Amino acid sequence: METVSFIRRLLTLIGLALLQVLFLNRIALFGYVTPLFYIWMIVRFDTSMTRTGILLWAFFLGLIIDMFSGTPGLNAASATLLAMFQPGIVKLFVSLDRHDVIVPGSVSMGGRQFAGYLLLITLLHHTVYFILRSIPLGDWTVLALKVVFSTLLTFIFMLVAEHVSVSSGLKRS
Amino acid sequence: MRSLLDFIVRHSYIFLFILLETLSLVLLFGFNDRQKEAFLTSSNLMSGKLYEWRSGVGQYFGLRKENATLVQENASLRNMLYELTDSQTVNLARSMSSDGVIAARVIDNSVRKDDNYITIDKGSRDGISKGMGVYSPQGVVGVVMVAGKRYSVVLPILNGSTSISCKVKDSDSFGFLEWAGGDPYVAQLRDMPYHSDVKQGDTIVTTGFSSVFPKDIPVGTVTDVEHSSNGYTLNIQVNLAVNMADLGWVYVHSNTRDEEIDELYEQMLK
Repeated sequence: METVSFIRRLLTLIGLALLQVLFLNRIALFGYVTPLFYIWMIVRFDTSMTRTGILLWAFFLGLIIDMFSGTPGLNAASATLLAMFQPGIVKLFVSLDRHDVIVPGSVSMGGRQFAGYLLLITLLHHTVYFILRSIPLGDWTVLALKVVFSTLLTFIFMLVAEHVSVSSGLKRS
Repeated sequence: MRSLLDFIVRHSYIFLFILLETLSLVLLFGFNDRQKEAFLTSSNLMSGKLYEWRSGVGQYFGLRKENATLVQENASLRNMLYELTDSQTVNLARSMSSDGVIAARVIDNSVRKDDNYITIDKGSRDGISKGMGVYSPQGVVGVVMVAGKRYSVVLPILNGSTSISCKVKDSDSFGFLEWAGGDPYVAQLRDMPYHSDVKQGDTIVTTGFSSVFPKDIPVGTVTDVEHSSNGYTLNIQVNLAVNMADLGWVYVHSNTRDEEIDELYEQMLK
């Protein structure tokens, strides 16, 4: 069981990293807006995972993307920071008993709560990412534009991904 | 003591977080330029195969346009050939014979970052080395930064550390082309003496002073001229001849003749 979930996670990591590096990194709407959809993996971490596990997975996800995008440490830093707060953010939107295990999603949390969760998590990650990327900080307006519009674009990508995963889940059952 | 140990074990993830975050930030800010260059190079060369595969998929979609460009270039080369009748130009052509051209394909490219890089699918085993000029049929692209065995990383015009000496076509005043970020279609020509005769619409070409680029490769056209704050030089906006976002094949200019000139330049810059 453990091995199966490890391999599945590893495949998710490789898949998301490839998608990000090969295709999404090339998108640059209006010169500023790039979707950072790879954090979908962190969004989906279930509540039974250990904090150590969450941190390590996120760190390596970021590091692999950095290696292929020529940005040493940038994605690793922002993904690790997000991973630190992910369990807390889940609890903001859904009240859990000690033994409840959920995978964050529109079915397990409720549509509105999940949307809020996605927005907050994306905003946090993108703010850190773009601040780190723009150091030394110069133009705050451009920075804010990058954060806001990239957050929206990533958010839309995630809504589509959630829609696909829910409808394929319905078909299976 | 025991409760302290307990605390540490229970909160070990916090220490892990600090460790991982420090590691990332060291990678991000602890690198000096040389180390960053090394990281970039190895990361680019490592992912060369991957980028090659992707660009192989995308390449077919641009074939029609690519063909049109090549036909156009063929035509202009043919014209030059016809003009090569008088002996003077033949001599000139002979003196240029140490110049060679290596064709390469762009397999990875960015234009939207603050510092952009291009990866091409030819490396040292194809005869490419650091400092060679790269241009496309439309005009100047950049300069080879590092040559790996099979792939090379090119510092394009759209990178803060690139500076290429350029001049106004058919005149002798020259300056340095630099890029301040932002618009990937526009660069700035600096250090042009303020008395030089430059106006909107003029064509900017390479000087050929060093052996990096041959003479008169197009760079762009002048869109705006203004005096710089020091009053001695002009700041010139240049609309780039090459659409950097849309690069297929490029030429790498190799020149073995002028090593001495380059050595002098390097000594001067030290």
